[in-house]
Amino acid sequence: MLTVPDKKVPTQDQAIAAMLLKAEVEAFNTAYSAALDEQRLSDWAELFTPDGFYIIISRENHDRGLPVGLIYCENQGMIRDRAFALEKTAMFAPRYLRHMVGNVAVEPEDADGLIVARANYVVFQVLFDRPDATIHQVGRYEDVFQRTPGGLRLKKRVCVYDSLLIDNALCIPV
Amino acid sequence: MAWRNAAARDALKDGGVVDVEIDGTPILLFLMGDEVYATHGICTHALAFLKDGWVENGTVECPLHQGIFDIRTGEALCAPLTEDLRTYAVKVEGGEVYVDLEMRATPHKITPEATEKNAPQEKAPQEEGLHLVVVGAGQASAAAIRAARSAGFNGPITLLGAEPHLPYERPPLSKELLSGKADFASCMRLTEPDTEAFGVVHRPSTRAVSVDAQAKTVALADGSTVPYDALLLATGGRARRLAVPGGDLPGVHYLRTLEDAQAIAKGLKGAKRVAVVGGGFIGMELASAAVDQGLSVTVLERESELMARLMPPALGGAFRQLAQKAGVEVRLGVAVEAIAASSRGLVLSTSDGLLESDLVLVGVGLEPETELAVAAGCAVEGGIIVDAQGRTTVPGIWAAGDCTLHHVAVNGRRRRLESWQNAEDQGAAAGRSIAGITEVAADKAPWFWTDQFGLNIQMLGTPDADDLVAVSGDEGGKGAVYRTLDPASRRLTAVIAFSDPAAIRAARAELASNAPFDLEAAQARLLTDTDEETPEDEDMSADPAAQFAKKYVWPKEGLTAIPDWVYTDETIYQREIERIFQGRTWNYVALECEVPNPGDFIRSHVGPTPIVVARAEDGTIHAFENRCVHRAAEFCRDLSGNTKEFVCPYHQWSYDLKGNLAGVPFRRGVDGKGGMPKDFKNSEHGLKQLAVTTHRGVVFASYVHDMEPLEDYLGEEVLREFEATFDGRKLTLLGHYRHSLPGNWKLYHENLKDPYHATLLHTFLVTFGLLVAGNKSLMLADPSGRHGVMASAKSTAAVSDDKKKEMRAYKEGMTLQEPRFMDFIDEFDSPWSVTMATIWPNLIVQREMNTLGIRQIVPTGPHEFIMKWTMFGFEGDDEEMTRHRLRQGNLMGPAGFLGLEDNEAIKFVQDGMVRVPNGEHLVQLDPDTEGTADTLISEAAIRAMYRHWRDAMGIA
Repeated sequence: MLTVPDKKVPTQDQAIAAMLLKAEVEAFNTAYSAALDEQRLSDWAELFTPDGFYIIISRENHDRGLPVGLIYCENQGMIRDRAFALEKTAMFAPRYLRHMVGNVAVEPEDADGLIVARANYVVFQVLFDRPDATIHQVGRYEDVFQRTPGGLRLKKRVCVYDSLLIDNALCIPV
Repeated sequence: MAWRNAAARDALKDGGVVDVEIDGTPILLFLMGDEVYATHGICTHALAFLKDGWVENGTVECPLHQGIFDIRTGEALCAPLTEDLRTYAVKVEGGEVYVDLEMRATPHKITPEATEKNAPQEKAPQEEGLHLVVVGAGQASAAAIRAARSAGFNGPITLLGAEPHLPYERPPLSKELLSGKADFASCMRLTEPDTEAFGVVHRPSTRAVSVDAQAKTVALADGSTVPYDALLLATGGRARRLAVPGGDLPGVHYLRTLEDAQAIAKGLKGAKRVAVVGGGFIGMELASAAVDQGLSVTVLERESELMARLMPPALGGAFRQLAQKAGVEVRLGVAVEAIAASSRGLVLSTSDGLLESDLVLVGVGLEPETELAVAAGCAVEGGIIVDAQGRTTVPGIWAAGDCTLHHVAVNGRRRRLESWQNAEDQGAAAGRSIAGITEVAADKAPWFWTDQFGLNIQMLGTPDADDLVAVSGDEGGKGAVYRTLDPASRRLTAVIAFSDPAAIRAARAELASNAPFDLEAAQARLLTDTDEETPEDEDMSADPAAQFAKKYVWPKEGLTAIPDWVYTDETIYQREIERIFQGRTWNYVALECEVPNPGDFIRSHVGPTPIVVARAEDGTIHAFENRCVHRAAEFCRDLSGNTKEFVCPYHQWSYDLKGNLAGVPFRRGVDGKGGMPKDFKNSEHGLKQLAVTTHRGVVFASYVHDMEPLEDYLGEEVLREFEATFDGRKLTLLGHYRHSLPGNWKLYHENLKDPYHATLLHTFLVTFGLLVAGNKSLMLADPSGRHGVMASAKSTAAVSDDKKKEMRAYKEGMTLQEPRFMDFIDEFDSPWSVTMATIWPNLIVQREMNTLGIRQIVPTGPHEFIMKWTMFGFEGDDEEMTRHRLRQGNLMGPAGFLGLEDNEAIKFVQDGMVRVPNGEHLVQLDPDTEGTADTLISEAAIRAMYRHWRDAMGIA
C-alpha cells in the first residue's frame, strides 16, 4: 500500500514543492495532535471541512470491507456534536493522552486543491492512579486534505487502528 | 490315618483357641473342659479367620458376620451360615496334640433336617401334596424353602426365578465378588444338590406376570399358568434408575444381579476414573472396591451428607471421612442432571458442574417389585404388608424379603429393611408359616453389615436421622463404635461398630435395656456439630465442599446486599466457568451471517474457553474447542476465514470442519518404529465438540449436550423480545468492536438490569430526550431471574421541572447540530424503541433504536472480561438505512456516548471493591419486588439474577 517514490527523478522545483507540502501536512498534524492532547475538542472539530468525514475503524473491519466505526461522523456537524458531547456530557475518569504522528507521506496536490496523505500514529494514555503510560492505540491515518483560505482542512480522515482489543474505552478521539 | 503334631497340650487354655497351620490348612484347636477339638480355621460364609472370633458355650462366632458354629460338630447354628465347618479328629498323647486332616471329629452328613435341630418337634400336621409356588429366586426364597421343609412341609415346591440362576445372596456382589475374593459358587443359597434334597422344581428365567388369587394361579410371561395352594412372593426389587438423560448409556452401571456385578468388575478393569452416584451403602462399597483397584473415585451425593436418609449426619460424616481418608472425593449436595458420552469418556452434568469419568456406578436405591402383589389384591404401601408370619392380607399368599415391609413399625412407620438378615428371617418365618407353624420367632434387632475401605462395619438396631450420636474408640477408624440415642429418652437405638464384632455382641444386651445409655461407662462421648468441624490447622485435608460452604456465606440481609467476593474471588470465578459457562446454559457464539458458506469459520469463546465456529460442507454449523487434542495448542489463530480443514501448526494434526480428527502425521511410525499406539483411533480423539443451536440467525453453543431448546431456555417473555429484534429478516454483518473491561463480567449484566443508572449516568440520553424517569419503560426479568430485558419508548415530551430537579444529569439548552442521528425509524413490531436483552450468561442483544448489536461477554478472570461487539443490519437495508445504523452507532461501543460511560462506571465499581477488603454493596431499590419491575427506579432484576446465580453456584 505504501507509495513508492516515482522512479522518475523529480525536478528540483517539484522536490521543493513536495517538501513544502509535506512540511505543511506535518504542521497540520502537529496542531491536530496538540488540540487533542490539550483536550480542546471544539478546536479539533474546526480542523475539518464542513463535509469532512471522520471515522475510527479497526483494521479488522477495514480489511474485510465492514463499515462499522468506533466513531463515525459524516460531516463537521457530527464532529462538533461529538466534541460537544464529550466536553459537556460524557463521564470518564480524567486522563492525559499524547498523540505521536510520523511516517507522513503526501501525494502531490491536485487541481482541486485536494491532497492525499497518510501517516502512522501512536496514542499514549496516562491514568492518574497508574505509573505507566499505556499505548492506547496504534494505527494509521488515511487522509484527504482540502486547501482552504484558512489553510489545510481535513476533508476525510480514516483512522485505521491495529490494536483491535481496546483498553476499556476510547474517550478522546485520535 | 495320618496324625500330625499340631501343638503342645499346654499351649491350650480352657475356653480358648489356638491357631496352627498344617500343610497349608489353617486349623483351630479349642480346649473345652478336658476335651480338645479341632476345626478348619476359615468361616464357611465369607473369608474370615475364626481365630479372631468369640468362643462361648462350645461355639465360635465369626468376627465378620456373626455366624455361629458348634465347635464339637462344626454345625452351622445360625444365619448367615448355610454350610457346616469342617472338623478334624484329635488325639492327645505325651503332652502333644495330634490332628488327622482326613478324619472328621464327628462325621455327619449335611442334610436339611440336620441343620435345624429342633425341627421334629416343630413339625405340624398338614395335608399331603399342597403345592407351594415361590415367585422370585433370591435369598428369602431359599430361606423359606429350607424352613418349610425343616418344619415338615411335604408338598411339591416350584421355584419361579426371573434370573437364570438358583438363589444366591447379593451382599458379595458389591464386595468380595468385585475384588475377586469370592466366586459365584460361594454366594449360592440353594445349590443344585439342595434342590434335589428339598424336592424343588426350579424354573429359571421364568417371569411371573400376574396372580389370580381366586383361581389360585400364577400367570407366566409365556402365557401358561401355574396353580398353587400356597404362594410366596419374594420378588425383591429393581435397582432404581437415574431419571436423567444418558442414564442408560453404556458405561453407566446399576447393581442388582450377578450379571450387573460382573459388568461392573469388567468395567473397573478398563477404567481410571469412576464416578459413583449415590452415597449409600451400595455406593460406598462400590467406591471402596474401585479405590482398592487404584482408581480415582468421585462420589456424588444429592443430600448434604452421606446416608442422610438412614442415619444422623454425624454418623454419615464418619462414613464420609473413612472414604475421604482412602482417597475418595466426596461431593455433597450434588445432583446429576445428565450423562453424555464424549470422546474422553462419560461426562456427567451435575449441579456442581461437569465431571468426566470412564465409568459411572449408580447406587440410588431399590424399587420393590410389588406388581404381582397388587395384582393379587394384597395390601401394598411402598412394600407388601405382612405379619410376623409373612402372611399378606390375601389368604394363601405370603411375602418375604426386599419387596415387603417389616412387620414391626420403627418410629411409627413400617419400612422395608433391605438387608441380608431380613431376607433370611422373613423367608424363614414365611416358610414355617406355610408349613403350618403359627409360633413366631422373637423379634430381633435389625442387623446389617457393610465392608468398605478395609473395615467390616456392622450395625445393630435402627438409627433415626434425628438421633444423637456418641462415639467411643478411635473415631473414624478401626475399633470406633458409634451409638445412636433417642434424643428424648437417651435410650440406645442402634450400635455401629467399625471392625469391632465384640461391640456388636455386647450391643444385643445394650439395646435390650430400657435405661438411658450410660455414656461414661462406655467411655463414649456425644458428637456435636462443632466436633464434626475440622480444626483450622487441618484445613488441608478437609472436605473442599464443606470448606467452600463455610467460606462463601451470603450476607444475612439476603439479596439486598451483595458481598464483594462475588466479583473478586478467584475460586468463585473458577466455579462460574464450571457451573455457569460450561454448565446448563446456552452461550452465544456467532451470527450465522458470519459463516454464510461451507468452510467459513470464526474464532469465538464459551466463557473464557476459546472455540471455533465453522460451517461444514453439509451446511451445518459446528462449535468445538480451539485446542489441539495432541498438545493443547490453540491452533486456529485467524479471527475469521474460510478453510477446508484445520491444521494444528505444531505437529500438523488435522481436523475437519466438524472438529473430528482427520490426520495424525506418522501415526504408524517410520520403518515400523515409533508412532501412536496401535489401538489409537482417530474417531476417539476429536476436538471437544459442543452442542449447537441456532435461532433466527443467532448461533448458541453449550457444553451440555441435552440442553432444553433455546426457546424454552429463554422463556416466553424474553423469547418475544428476542424475536422482536431478530424478526425474521436475514442479518447482514456490519463489523466488530472488541475491548477489555477491567471489572467483573456480572457487572455488565447488572448494568443492564439497572434502569436506575440510565437516567443518572447518561447525561447524553437525558439531555436529548432519549430517556427520562417518566418514560414508558419496563424492566423485565424471566421467571428464572437469569435473563432480562430493559425496554423504553422514546419520549417526545419535554422534561418537567420536578423531574429535572431530581436529575442532576439534565442540562438545559443543549442542542445537536445533526440531530437526525437520533431519529428512530420504527421498523420493529414492538412498543419499545430501545431494548437491551441480557441473555444468560454471555449475551446482550442491543436494539438501541436502529443501531443493532450483539455484545458477547468473554471473562478472563474475576477482575476483567473482554466484550466483543458484532454490529448488524438486515438484508434489504438500503445505503441510507445502513448509514443511519452506523451514525446511530455513535451511541454505543467503547467510544459510544453511552457505552464509554458504562465501561468507566464498571471499572470504578471494581476499583472500589478491590481496594476495600470484605465489603458489601447495596441493591435495595424497590425492595418488595424481585424480578420484573414496573419502575425504572428499581434493582429488583439484579436481585432476581443473584437468586439464580446462587442456585447455580450452590451458595446458600
